[in-house]
Amino acid sequence: MRSTAPATDRLPIRGAGRRPARVRPYSVTGGRTRFTQVLHVETFVAACDTRASEPQRPEPEDRMPEMPAIVEVCRRMRTIAEISALLKLPLGVVRVLVSDLADQGRIRVYGTGHGPGRPERALLERVLSGLRSL
Amino acid sequence: MVFAVSDPPACAQALADEPVQPWQYDRSRAPVAVKVLVAGGFGVGKTTFVSSVSEIAPLRTEAVMTQASAPTDDLSGTPDKSTTTVAMDFGRVTLADDLVLYVYGTPGQKRFWFMWDDLVRGAIGGIVLADTRRLRDCFPALDYFESCGLPYAVAVNHFEGSDAYEPEDVREALAIPPHVPVLIMDARRRDTVVESLATLVGHALDATPEP
Amino acid sequence: MRKILVVGAGQSGLQLALGLQAKGFEITLMSNRTADEIRTGRVMSTQVMFDTALRHERDLALGFWERQAPRIEGVGVSVAAPDGSRPVDWLGRLKGYAQSVDQRVKMAGWLDVFVQRGGQLVIHGASVADLDYFSRAYDLVLVAAGKGELVSMFGRDAARSPYDAPQRALAVSYVHGLAPRPEHPETEAVRCNLVPGVGELFVMPTLTTSGRADILFWEGLPGGPLDVFQGVGDPAEHLALTLELMEKFTPWEYARAAKVELTDAGGTLAGRYAPVVRNPIGRLPGGGLVLGVADVVVANDPITGQGSNSASKCAASYLSSILMHGDKPFDEGWMKATFDKFWFTTGKPVTQWTNAMLGVPPEHVLNLIGAAGQLQPVADRFANGFDNPADFDTYFYDPEDAQDYLDEVVSSAGPSAGSGAPEAE
Repeated sequence: MRSTAPATDRLPIRGAGRRPARVRPYSVTGGRTRFTQVLHVETFVAACDTRASEPQRPEPEDRMPEMPAIVEVCRRMRTIAEISALLKLPLGVVRVLVSDLADQGRIRVYGTGHGPGRPERALLERVLSGLRSL
Repeated sequence: MVFAVSDPPACAQALADEPVQPWQYDRSRAPVAVKVLVAGGFGVGKTTFVSSVSEIAPLRTEAVMTQASAPTDDLSGTPDKSTTTVAMDFGRVTLADDLVLYVYGTPGQKRFWFMWDDLVRGAIGGIVLADTRRLRDCFPALDYFESCGLPYAVAVNHFEGSDAYEPEDVREALAIPPHVPVLIMDARRRDTVVESLATLVGHALDATPEP
Repeated sequence: MRKILVVGAGQSGLQLALGLQAKGFEITLMSNRTADEIRTGRVMSTQVMFDTALRHERDLALGFWERQAPRIEGVGVSVAAPDGSRPVDWLGRLKGYAQSVDQRVKMAGWLDVFVQRGGQLVIHGASVADLDYFSRAYDLVLVAAGKGELVSMFGRDAARSPYDAPQRALAVSYVHGLAPRPEHPETEAVRCNLVPGVGELFVMPTLTTSGRADILFWEGLPGGPLDVFQGVGDPAEHLALTLELMEKFTPWEYARAAKVELTDAGGTLAGRYAPVVRNPIGRLPGGGLVLGVADVVVANDPITGQGSNSASKCAASYLSSILMHGDKPFDEGWMKATFDKFWFTTGKPVTQWTNAMLGVPPEHVLNLIGAAGQLQPVADRFANGFDNPADFDTYFYDPEDAQDYLDEVVSSAGPSAGSGAPEAE
């Protein structure tokens, strides 16, 4: 296993040597609790309301009529990109609406389960062993 | 970037027929989600690659963009209000009950780089899918991955009837540094797709410092 | 509460978002990068902001770095001769100081403040179809992401865009360890070094992520001897090239650069773009309208350092137009009037001056620049034109106006006019 690339072909890494800022999912300021997490395409979210049969109704604070549909499709664990694909909604719209729904407590954002940067070694080793046992 | 499904019946079908994994109903916790990008020119086999390994029918999304878009350092100033649509497919592989890999196939042209900035955030790495008959098509993907320091591997999708090349020939033609993996594969065959992914993850591991 | 979407977290987008937020608007801010990615990323600009632009920030209580950032008291102009001498070399004094705060520091800080104050920040690189939806969900959509996919929604205004290709190749390096100019060791200044037929070197102090620094900024005529930075990936090589060119073309600046080192791995930037004025109103496929802000609509070459100044002025102008509009809909007529107010006050004079500076200077401009070496009021007026480019209208463009102005300065200054010492003021 190579430990480092030769200096000549190593590229400058953005933010190399700096520690990523601690990620706080919510900031309680400005008089309200606000969801502030970065929503990656692979970030997991799910509806908080587990009653499976009740159809979602629009809420008065809904920014857009698509919001109940997002809650509906999130009755099982979904990623941001899945919601976008399944509901035919632009990714940016999904991000804004999921952020709204998280603020309202109707959606729980689970995240990706790892930090904001590249996955660390232990995780990569798990992925590699998972692939090898497919 | 805008994603919307281009083919509604396929979408509905995907929603209905999707094989459900146990973790999808466990709302006490979510699995860890990791992702890999597959980039290359049109027709190089990105969709096939994703389909071969995905446990669900790949979800097809579209990025609608204006045609005149240009990268940051090359603003042409050419006006063009018409829009163009770019398909992006992604698939899913459950590696353990608490670990899921997503594979995103993304178009390789330089004008889509603005989309990649979003996709590379937190990614394990990228696979540059190459077709030896149109090797030029993968230059932008190589440039992009190199410029942002993302670990990448080159997978040469061998098409029947095209000349067979050795990995080292391709490495030389593409000026790939010696430590970057180059392999010959067939995007239709799941085993070679899995091998490509494993090669990339192994390379990313090599490039990740010990804690 | 009126809902506004601001796309883009640069000078104009954040200044507008924070200004509107303070006035009680419900703001969603869309940025393609997080505060931390901005902070640890690559430099974006040289961002020297002059008095008026700084005052707009102070009005919103956003000048958080004012105490730490170097105070730029003057603008110097030096013209290089082929033998390495300086036939023109003077320093104009600014009425109010200017400051440069690295946008990595400022934008990251402002983003954090926006969120701390309860703003909704969504990390996403917006595209046309996003905006198609959002134009229905928000009372107003402002596009302030000047570099990226969205700008192509705004058609080029050919009548206001004399150039269709980049006029300069740009290369920026942020360095620590630059010595002061020995002529004025106590005076921080923007130094404009003009190399006729080749390009310009601008040197200016800034506050960056690692404290006080200086920016070395080459603007090279495309295809000329300074157009050598494209494809240089290694920051150290970029700086070495910068210094090599300084030694060759501006030895007096090279002389104070003996000990410079890059501030960080993200401290260099190279690129080029064509100056352009666009139609300010973007029409979405679904019929909705969005309003372009600052360099989305008016993108000038950085040769006059007006990008961040125009951004601040545009944000202030749009903010007042939004506040004045009350509860009425932000329709096409309002958008046009809002842009026109900015254009005629700021955009047009900046564009005219910048495009003039990109061309080969006519004789009367050379005379003005030369005379400023003997006539301090001329140097001071030129320097303060960076703060208010509309001032150039009355003396800079027309040979007769220029001569009338010089005659007036000479006659009012009397016999002592030749001393030219900045201390004379």
